[in-house]
Amino acid sequence: MKRSVLVIFSMLLVLALSLGASAQGVVTMMGVWGGQELEAFQEVMDAFTAKTGITVQFEGTRDLPTLLQTRIAAGNPPDVAALPGPGAMKEYVEQGALVDLNGVLDVEMLNEDVNDAWIELGTYKDGFYALMFAADIKSLVWYRPDEFVARGYEVPTTWDEMEALMDQMVANGDTPWAIGLESGAASGWVATDWIEDIMLRTAGPDVYDQWVDHEIPWTDARVQEAFEIFGKIAKNSDYVYGGPITVLSTNFGDSVAELFADPPRAMMHRQASFVTSFILDANPDVVIGEDVAFFGFPMIKPEHGNPMLGAGDMMGQFNDTPEAAEFMNFLASAEAQEIWANRLGKLGTNNKINPAVYPDDLTREMARLLNEADVFRFDGSDSMPAAIGGGAFWEGTLMYVGGDNLLDVLEFIENVAVDSY
Amino acid sequence: MTMQKLKRSLPRIVVNIVVIAAIALWLIPTLGLLVTSFRPASEVAYSGWWTVLSSPLKFTQYTIENYHSVLSSGGMLTAFRNSFIISIGGTVIPVFLAALAAFGLSKLNFQGRGFFYALIVMMLVVPSQMTFIPVLRLYNKLSLSGTFGGLWLVHTGYGLPFSIFMLHTFFQSLPDELFEAAHIDGASIWTTFMRLAIPLSVPALASLVIFQFLAVWNDLLVALIYLGGHQSVAPLTMRLSSLVGSHGQDWHLLTAAAFVSMVVPLIVFLSLQKYFVRGLMGGAVKG
Repeated sequence: MKRSVLVIFSMLLVLALSLGASAQGVVTMMGVWGGQELEAFQEVMDAFTAKTGITVQFEGTRDLPTLLQTRIAAGNPPDVAALPGPGAMKEYVEQGALVDLNGVLDVEMLNEDVNDAWIELGTYKDGFYALMFAADIKSLVWYRPDEFVARGYEVPTTWDEMEALMDQMVANGDTPWAIGLESGAASGWVATDWIEDIMLRTAGPDVYDQWVDHEIPWTDARVQEAFEIFGKIAKNSDYVYGGPITVLSTNFGDSVAELFADPPRAMMHRQASFVTSFILDANPDVVIGEDVAFFGFPMIKPEHGNPMLGAGDMMGQFNDTPEAAEFMNFLASAEAQEIWANRLGKLGTNNKINPAVYPDDLTREMARLLNEADVFRFDGSDSMPAAIGGGAFWEGTLMYVGGDNLLDVLEFIENVAVDSY
Repeated sequence: MTMQKLKRSLPRIVVNIVVIAAIALWLIPTLGLLVTSFRPASEVAYSGWWTVLSSPLKFTQYTIENYHSVLSSGGMLTAFRNSFIISIGGTVIPVFLAALAAFGLSKLNFQGRGFFYALIVMMLVVPSQMTFIPVLRLYNKLSLSGTFGGLWLVHTGYGLPFSIFMLHTFFQSLPDELFEAAHIDGASIWTTFMRLAIPLSVPALASLVIFQFLAVWNDLLVALIYLGGHQSVAPLTMRLSSLVGSHGQDWHLLTAAAFVSMVVPLIVFLSLQKYFVRGLMGGAVKG
């Protein structure tokens, strides 16, 4: 009896050890994608395998920052990973975890095919650590052209026109905006995007960078101004559907649905390019580009022009293997980015991408906006240390919309910031 | 009905009402999830699940599209297989080892018995998150990370303190006379354990198996850390979480996914249920 139990136990253990043994000649990759995104990335990986014979083992998780940090600390990071943002990239460089891509990528090709702005985003302390695989743009205001025409509204190009339009809507009995801040543990990020967009337009890109790097305090008058402009909309029941309570309690993905209720409960929604998938989830019959369109978030102070806020898929390499290097080079190529852009409507960073691969005119228009923007800035909260950009800043916006005194809120964020830079 | 009868049955009625209310309170969210899993995403976005209650028999408002998307997405069978391998190993090993340890700690006399038991109980309060990095480092050296065997070991480690604690308490309640009698009859310690302790503790073992199986089956984090999310080894929880996009797109699929992954624990629960209803201690001493 005793022996047979032991024999079975040891057989099971041997079986288990042999089942999961790792193969050779592969690239391991970690990313956040799921669903449609994962299917699209699978095509990118398949194309790479067809070309080189190297297989890519993909691990997907939405808890990527936690998992990646644990793996780095334990000494077995994936060969390649999608990075959460420039802030995280800097932290990984400080830990000595990332491979300098200057020795990996064809730098001449990069200088020719990729805008300096993208290279700059991946550069830190004389090294080049992150490849921008694709970008999303965020400074977009979504609206329904048919409703605008029927009600005699015109697309604003300046903030004065925007304010006049909002008042005109209120006078007509319409509600200008739909905003939803709830996003589980990440609640508040929608508001940080708003404030970043405003900050870029009221204080300009230089001050924006100082703010992101914490060279100016959170209590600075220019930060206050940006919060206040957002608050004027988000805290006002005339300007936003349902008032602050609805703003706080509505999921960001659901809030855009107010534009498609019958009759529409709101006229405009500010959100990044990926919002189209939420629109189609809730309203399968909507034709993107016809029933719904966007205009660029209007300029506020003319001297700062029309900057573009965005985010993107940054790729970092953690293990210096020839297979991983080949995969990184493939990701930098127009060939790989065209697949990603075509399936998901993402904007490639390689200039050689054929515009015809973009799935629709709206995406082509986004690519044009991105190319023509005077200034591009990466999502500020993604560039700040996680305790701020993924913590106090999110929380602070919720407190502010919830009715807390603005100065108290900013002091709260400042206190966390002092400890985290 | 006389006044007296009513007076006697009144407490029972009150208790029943309270129990039914408590059950309803627990079941309503699950019911909402179930209804939502059968509604198309476009309707979920505009109205709550309770709106179907006004006309529950209008079948056009329901759809099995969510279940179809979940079950037809690639790699589901592999994920089910992996979850089974992980959960069976991650349940059988710790429960078996815990039974041995708890038996030793409660029925064998040796020095330091109380100390070792206290040590094990103390481990209950160590958060498992604290162990991730050191254990993962060790695993990399031993090339155990990414293997099912490695994951079984981890689940065994995380599950043992509670399992030993629970079985120890149960073994303590078994009368010592029983084991002394077995000893006098010439049974070895191993025989006493296999023929006496194990059969007597079936109700406790059954509930422990359910606890441990549920914990391992529903686990996402531990599997992510030690196994990695690659499809060939990923359990069901990981496969289901990757149905949702990086911004939470397609979350409506999760409602259906929740019920798909609930099926197996439900079967385990229902099939083990009869064991802890049946009291095995009856007549054990007097025969």
